[in-house]
Amino acid sequence: MFLFLIAAGLSLIFGVLRVLNFAHGTFYMLGAYATFQLVQWLGVSGGRFWLTALGGALAVAALGGLIERLLFRRLYGKDELYQLLFTYALALILGDAAKMLWGTQQKSVSRPPELTGALHLFGATIPHYNLFIILLGPAIALAFWLVLQRTRAGRYIRAAALDRETLGALGVNVDALYTWVFVLASFLGGLGGALISPMRATTPGMDTEVIVEAFVVVVIGGLGSFWGTFLGALIYGQVLSFGILFFPRFSIFAVFALMAAVLMVRPWGLLGRPLR
Amino acid sequence: MHRRTLLVALLAAVLAVPLGAEAQKPIKVGMPMPLSGPPALFGDPASKGAQMFVDEINAKGGVLGRKLELIVRDSKADANEAVRQARELILKDNVEFLVGTLTSAEGPAVSVVAKENKIVFIAPIPKTDQLTAPDKLHPYIFRVASNTTIEGRSAAEIVAKWPVTKVATMSFDYAYGQDVTKQFVEHLKKIKPGVEIVDQQWPKLGEQDYNPFINAQMAKKPEAVFSSIWGGFFVTYSKQAKAVGMFDALKYHFIGVGEAATPETTKSMGADYPVGIWGNSYDAFYWGDTAAHKDYVARLSKYLKDEYPSSWAIQGYIGMQFLAEAIKKAGTTDSDKVARALLGLTVETPMGPLTIREKDHQANRGQLFGKTVKDPKYPFAIMKPVTYVDPTKFMD
Repeated sequence: MFLFLIAAGLSLIFGVLRVLNFAHGTFYMLGAYATFQLVQWLGVSGGRFWLTALGGALAVAALGGLIERLLFRRLYGKDELYQLLFTYALALILGDAAKMLWGTQQKSVSRPPELTGALHLFGATIPHYNLFIILLGPAIALAFWLVLQRTRAGRYIRAAALDRETLGALGVNVDALYTWVFVLASFLGGLGGALISPMRATTPGMDTEVIVEAFVVVVIGGLGSFWGTFLGALIYGQVLSFGILFFPRFSIFAVFALMAAVLMVRPWGLLGRPLR
Repeated sequence: MHRRTLLVALLAAVLAVPLGAEAQKPIKVGMPMPLSGPPALFGDPASKGAQMFVDEINAKGGVLGRKLELIVRDSKADANEAVRQARELILKDNVEFLVGTLTSAEGPAVSVVAKENKIVFIAPIPKTDQLTAPDKLHPYIFRVASNTTIEGRSAAEIVAKWPVTKVATMSFDYAYGQDVTKQFVEHLKKIKPGVEIVDQQWPKLGEQDYNPFINAQMAKKPEAVFSSIWGGFFVTYSKQAKAVGMFDALKYHFIGVGEAATPETTKSMGADYPVGIWGNSYDAFYWGDTAAHKDYVARLSKYLKDEYPSSWAIQGYIGMQFLAEAIKKAGTTDSDKVARALLGLTVETPMGPLTIREKDHQANRGQLFGKTVKDPKYPFAIMKPVTYVDPTKFMD
């Protein structure tokens, strides 16, 4: 489900802005670091974890807005290779900046005390925190779908994905819209990092780990397709888990084989649309 | 007559100047070490430990009247980059010795460069048995790190004393994980024949989600688990294992090698650390058996400006210490003579006396092992009692 949050942001940026954002994994890492920093100041008890997670995600969203305004703006409509190089450079720069701020030592955030228990189900143990994340994923997916389908802003975003010029001609401030889309996508990435921080170590390098997985998810589901990303994340998780259970040494191979198969049969992903 | 004496004296002085300058030139030592990316967590303090030794010995007049000069280069934990840096250090910086590398990929790669250039190379951290295996051994490679045989067998010695028979393993699927697990399993079966290995999991190096592996493993009902998930990865693994109650189910019959109980790890995890498990570490500032070690920790603490100094600095320190002692013993910086001086050399390190064996150029470097407990003196878990496991009796 974390993968869904991260991949959804990646897919959103590509769907609307037509930029393949390699630095998206960095937002995820920064979300985790920002949460760690806030936890250092505030602690995790008494519901403060949720405050820090939200704060971490918002900080990343603000940074995302700044980056869009100052840098990304210049990338729209440019060559894909150029975009990839630029966003990759951005990932490296932000990664090093994080290292300067927080050092190379791994950081750790505790689980919120409200959710430290676990549920015993059919002989398996599911920690409450994981359960919460499993429920949160579809909730966020649904909320986003509603925003995109039912609100005015959502209509603008969908319209911008289809035809930017016409939308601008109709009097919509497309520049501001793009900034907000980017802020939203960074927020999703940052939230993914903030929420995963109690389940893993926060270290330099977690940005590039996740970006590859997120790419696999969006390729399987279809770049720019919202439910496709959701489906892609589910399939990725299932194939990996069952792979580990039945053929432990080939589980990673199974995921990439699936991706290759999808690319051969439907190069635009399971629920994506072919590019014009 | 008088004039001639003066002339001779002058000539002698002129001749003596370059000779004197030669003697005053520093002895250059190259150190390829990861200073960026996740492995910098270990590479950075190791290089600082080496630098501290250099500063200390230079303050006392250096070696053979010459100062030591350490040149550290970022190997990026990549074998190709480590080789490139090692070559450049030899050709451009004219280093006379190499001390360095961290991963089990870098060590053997740089060893080849040392062999080609006939330069003494001391590896302070890489553990793979391959580095000093009979077919890879050459006169210029030496290791002051532990190795996978020593580490796996040390853990087996501890697990053999537990009241368990069903054991499972969890290790990354690459050279280090496979080698250390194999040594653990073989040695355990040898010293405690009743033991059964009920499950072995092999997540990929750098895995982030251990839940499927933990679930599959616990379904086999092991009574003890051996893990070699190292560094920051151990933080991720143990947090997820703790969340599903794995350590309670095992009654804390869990041993984590790959330095799972370093002060750095327990410090970064704080209250999340699964206190009660067994782990190891190259060093620990609270291990205070000898005056030499206490003194070393005090100096390091001051040098790093850290109340709880890193447990990795010791490896850089010991590497340089062996080099300096060998140069002293050889009385020259000639590669072949220093290499010969290193064979069988015993050095009084802060960890106690260590000896490089003649047969495989491997030091009898054991590690600290212990059960982790909470100690009111520190804000994080420590190993107590913490024991240095001397590997001398089971190295072969």
